[in-house]
Amino acid sequence: MSKPIQAINRYKADLRDFQFLLFEQFKVGELLGKGVFEAWDAEQVNVSLAECYRWTREVAGPLNAPADAEGCKLVDGRVITPKGFKEAWKSLYEAGWKSIGIAPEHGGAGSPVSVQILVEEMLSGANTAFNMYSGLAFGASEVIASFGTTDQQHLYCARMFGGEWGGTMCLTEPHAGSDVGSAKTTARLNADGTYSIKGTKIYISGGDHDLASNVIHLVLARVDGAPAGTKGLTLFIVPRVRTSGDGTLGADNDVTVAALEHKMGINGSATCVLNFGDNDACIGVPVGGDSELNKGMPQMFKMMNGARIAVGVQGIGVASSAYLNALEYARDRKQGASITHWKDATAPRVSIIEHADVRRMLLDMKSRVEGIRALVVKLTSHIDRLTFAKDDAEAAYHQGQVDLLVPLVKAYGTDQAFRVCETAIQTYGGAGYTRDYPVEQYCRDCKIFSIYEGTNHIQAMDLVGRKLGQAGGANLQAFLGDIAKFVAAHKDHAKLGASVRALGGAQEALGGSALKLLMWFQTGNMAAVPLYATRFLEMMSEIAVAWMLLDAAIIADTKLQTVEPGHPDKAFYEGKLFSAMYYARSVLPAAELKARQMNDEDKSPLEISDAAFATV
Amino acid sequence: MKILVSLKRVADPDNANKIKVTPQKIETTGLEFKPNPFDEYAVETALRLTENAANTKQRLGEVTVVTFGPKEAESTLRAALATGADKAIRVDATDDALDGDLVARALAKLIETEKPDLVLLGKQEVEGDANQVAQLLAEYLGWPQATFAGSIKSEGDTALLVGREIDGGTMNLRVTLPAVVSVDLRIVAPRSVQSVHTKADHAYPEGVRFAALMAIMAAKKKSLTEVKLTDLTGDVGLKIKYTGFEPPPARKAGVKVKSVSELVEKLKTEAKVL
Repeated sequence: MSKPIQAINRYKADLRDFQFLLFEQFKVGELLGKGVFEAWDAEQVNVSLAECYRWTREVAGPLNAPADAEGCKLVDGRVITPKGFKEAWKSLYEAGWKSIGIAPEHGGAGSPVSVQILVEEMLSGANTAFNMYSGLAFGASEVIASFGTTDQQHLYCARMFGGEWGGTMCLTEPHAGSDVGSAKTTARLNADGTYSIKGTKIYISGGDHDLASNVIHLVLARVDGAPAGTKGLTLFIVPRVRTSGDGTLGADNDVTVAALEHKMGINGSATCVLNFGDNDACIGVPVGGDSELNKGMPQMFKMMNGARIAVGVQGIGVASSAYLNALEYARDRKQGASITHWKDATAPRVSIIEHADVRRMLLDMKSRVEGIRALVVKLTSHIDRLTFAKDDAEAAYHQGQVDLLVPLVKAYGTDQAFRVCETAIQTYGGAGYTRDYPVEQYCRDCKIFSIYEGTNHIQAMDLVGRKLGQAGGANLQAFLGDIAKFVAAHKDHAKLGASVRALGGAQEALGGSALKLLMWFQTGNMAAVPLYATRFLEMMSEIAVAWMLLDAAIIADTKLQTVEPGHPDKAFYEGKLFSAMYYARSVLPAAELKARQMNDEDKSPLEISDAAFATV
Repeated sequence: MKILVSLKRVADPDNANKIKVTPQKIETTGLEFKPNPFDEYAVETALRLTENAANTKQRLGEVTVVTFGPKEAESTLRAALATGADKAIRVDATDDALDGDLVARALAKLIETEKPDLVLLGKQEVEGDANQVAQLLAEYLGWPQATFAGSIKSEGDTALLVGREIDGGTMNLRVTLPAVVSVDLRIVAPRSVQSVHTKADHAYPEGVRFAALMAIMAAKKKSLTEVKLTDLTGDVGLKIKYTGFEPPPARKAGVKVKSVSELVEKLKTEAKVL
């Protein structure tokens, strides 16, 4: 008989690190009680984070492993979610954690995005699959809140933000994945001004579920006669159940679940093949009305920043819990003797945290998790400071940094999340490969993050093709300039000076590589751009993360001068120093290696013939 | 019904390994604090008694939470306000200047002005585990008391039927209000508290309710007043004197026995349990 999967919480978060980022490093605390954050103070932020953590550990966390084992079912054309999800959904919306960052006019609490994103880290980290349903509803509702007509906002937003109705984003089709412009779903104008939708969408997360009384699909479709490619796509509101203007549910809207995907992970999240209009009875209306026809892609693009940040945060949520679980195991598990007694078979067995390579893996995970989380909060703190900008130039600076950092957070955050989870398994050894511990599920769940919401290569192309040149290159210049200022200020720091100077060297290399990319564009060497884009993104991310960690370490070093002996903050701040020094010395050198690779311009992957890859 | 609940923050029991003990005192620097679990159960009990479970947003009575502690202890009160309590009072004091008797005397004075119908307390706090305040308070007030409540059935605003957890079973006591009741763990089981407002077959989720985000935001606007300990009692002397502190002795290493007969022998001669 196989072992039962236990409904116990394994999720762990580091709330002290959250507080450090909000109140010590990025000083979001100084915005509280002012302007749009007038209703907030530090205590409310801390109580909210603590209460949300409690909710994730008691409600969402215990369902994570059982839902993975059970998966979703398709019964009589409807999706049945895993046991416990319905109750958790009700509890989530009663507690209100999905509303924390929503503007008060839509029923939310209007918190800083930096607080909301840490709440999301906990919701995603505790149960990625469960949080998909509410996450998609949130995203779809945001689209309607931003671009919908007043009537559409009244009908949908509060209900979708509040959990009464779910929501999805329907972009992908069998022949239109990353190449979304080749979508074939059609929309035909009816006499009453509505449109008849017909087509098939695949990989639709939460495409149907039993958690809410209706699911509102946002469907990219081409109106008859519209241009080919992305320029002819319109975003339609297509409810599963037709609704009247007051929200009363009516007839079935001819949206059918053709199948559920069998996946590597997030098995509690229903990934659906959806057929629209099999019986020519599927009705939709354009988001924002007929004036917004063919504007589906620009609408999607405006929402993309938020969605991509959210995926990066999914990564950090899972990776952080993987690290903290591996750490707990390493402190507890006894195996082998200390290296100082390696010849003595009778020497006492020690906890594996005493072994050098386990310590290396732990510090590697710690530095990546903390550094990427800091990069996330740096990004969101720029969003939070937007409304406080003194003038257009300051606002442009903040928005520019947001745009520049989004592909880094999404791609580097999720690539590293998978690697952290893999390292966590390695830390456990054989136990980590079993379902007795959470890390194998974390590893399976988090692989999708580097693929959906724009694959990580699409992020890299977004970075090198759009973001570097944005505002005439001013955003990149500001980013490089901020690092240069930091290096100048701290290059002679007693403990961290050498690492800060290494960051300075890497920053110069990054500037050189950006010029190299520019030269490739200008000289028509276009094939080199996608070949090196992923490596450029990784290089820039490593430099950004090293900067964030060193910045944190310098703050921590100052705080260490005054922290009382015996206070747990002493260990916390020391940990910050070691995170930074490890990352600067063991990871950052890889950034300059990538600069050298770009200078070398090796094009082997392009030059090799298709046949030469293998002769089988 | 007006209910007053006393609430204390305690060093997080999950971080007990961080506590440093010197012969003079227990070092509390850097400890994380949580509400005393039994006190949280008392707050939950008060909320269940003053609401219809079908609409927990409307409070059908008044719940006042009181703590004795420094300014930082106010976050414990705010958290209680966020779960539904109506108002809070902090009596300014530090732990080392308090004992159960002083707290009971000060509470008795506060209760003269607050005039609750019921005082609910946790049966004990999980630091000193003294288990004194409820009993002393009832005595000072001259009110009936029911300690270690595992169930409470409200009989209007005049009496409670309290199931006390005692060795070997449950003792059912009817107490006339006003009264002092201390609660035990099982009071937060789904059907342990029956108010006059909620349908008798209602089952609450096990344990203490979550604070909803909007309630956390609204808690800031609820009344939180500060009272000086000396305004409640002129005599702030302590009856409990601590003469020294020491950590519990470390466990001795075990021994491996070679056979069952050796084990039995040791259980007889060394452990003397057979």
